[in-house]
Amino acid sequence: MMDRMPAAPEGPRARRPSGAAAPAPDLSDLLRRSARGEEEAFGQLYDATARRVYGLVLRVVRDPAMSEEVTQEVYLDVWRTSSRFDPDRGSALSWLLTIAHRAAVDRVRSSEASRRREDAHAAATRGVAFDETAEAAHGALEAQRVRRALGTLTEVQRSAVELAFLGGYTHTEVARLLDLPLGTAKTRIRDGLIRLRDTLGGPA
Amino acid sequence: MSPDLHHLTGAYAVDALDAEERAAFERHLPGCAACRDEVAELRAAAQTLGALTEATPPVGLRAAVLGGVSTVRPLPPRDEADSVLPLRRRRRARAASWLAAAAAVVLLVAGGLAWSPWSREEPARTALEQVERATDAATVTSRSGEVTATLAYSHELDRSAIAVSGLPSAPEGKTYQLWYIGADESARGAGFLVPADDGEGESVLRGSLRGAKAVGVTLEPAGGSPEPTTDPLMVMSLT
Repeated sequence: MMDRMPAAPEGPRARRPSGAAAPAPDLSDLLRRSARGEEEAFGQLYDATARRVYGLVLRVVRDPAMSEEVTQEVYLDVWRTSSRFDPDRGSALSWLLTIAHRAAVDRVRSSEASRRREDAHAAATRGVAFDETAEAAHGALEAQRVRRALGTLTEVQRSAVELAFLGGYTHTEVARLLDLPLGTAKTRIRDGLIRLRDTLGGPA
Repeated sequence: MSPDLHHLTGAYAVDALDAEERAAFERHLPGCAACRDEVAELRAAAQTLGALTEATPPVGLRAAVLGGVSTVRPLPPRDEADSVLPLRRRRRARAASWLAAAAAVVLLVAGGLAWSPWSREEPARTALEQVERATDAATVTSRSGEVTATLAYSHELDRSAIAVSGLPSAPEGKTYQLWYIGADESARGAGFLVPADDGEGESVLRGSLRGAKAVGVTLEPAGGSPEPTTDPLMVMSLT
């Protein structure tokens, strides 16, 4: 699995001219050291992952102040549970993003549930637009690869995956947003992810 | 492996299941290596979309995070031997298993543990140890036609769990809802029961057992009802 994970993104403190390859820090090692209470290692972990984690949380939660709060909680959880990370079960970045994504989704479903549902229709008609600016400035090659992979999905698969993962909607909500028969959105999400996995797993 | 649950891998990987389905799927995961592998793969595939959403965090966040961690002690590693306890395979020890699940809930709440992706998939032995200390564990079984339901409960843990077999999936748009029933016949929603395709299902009941004289199961519109709207399919009395 780990070979399919993207390289760790640059941290905000490690900004360098675009195109310059940075040696990716070993996130598993940073997590292991964090578990022993090494705050400096945890700081490096934050620098190496914060753009990814905060960006994903912001995407799902939308509200910047709430995203900041969720991101802080995520990193506290990561620090506290760092000893429970098992490198045999996935990459360190995947572990972090899994915690972050669930925290973001749980937050929007609890506190903002009603407002978000009202906005749902608008979101669907607007479509899911990516932050082109961020994409242009960072990891452009990787972003292109992901975009190409997304292009291999059917329209319905792509929308279902994006609304679920980036929109934070349940498969039932996704079905309503896309006018799919109830119960079929989960199949579209799975089919889309399988195609994404297979495309990204192939030659870059 | 239930084909129906297996199809939830994708939605689970992107956190697109509702609370009830998520709970059912997380009970399925420990016993299904195929689903665990697929979830990990599909999750990683979904996470590549993160390349499109990177954003610069607010300036003060780093200091806030690092300031926060200095006051929090990292948890010790879990004992290696804790890691594998496939609940679903231990059919004979089911009552103990449900109570283990119930105890795990208690521990998560009492210990204030953060949810972490692997911890729910692999129940810790400390939960089992907890159950073994629940000397008052009791079970009650009810049969109705093809359906068998067994309720395990412990007043000491203040938790109960139900397991059913032979229960067909709820019709489209409906769900099986669990209730704690008080002496005055009042009903308190206690979560949901989602049987797998093979008619088997398990659920830890939500809320406290205190004041409950019985546990009932009714068929309700999806999402549940504030109070039962149909006659109970099963009622099991507590002692």
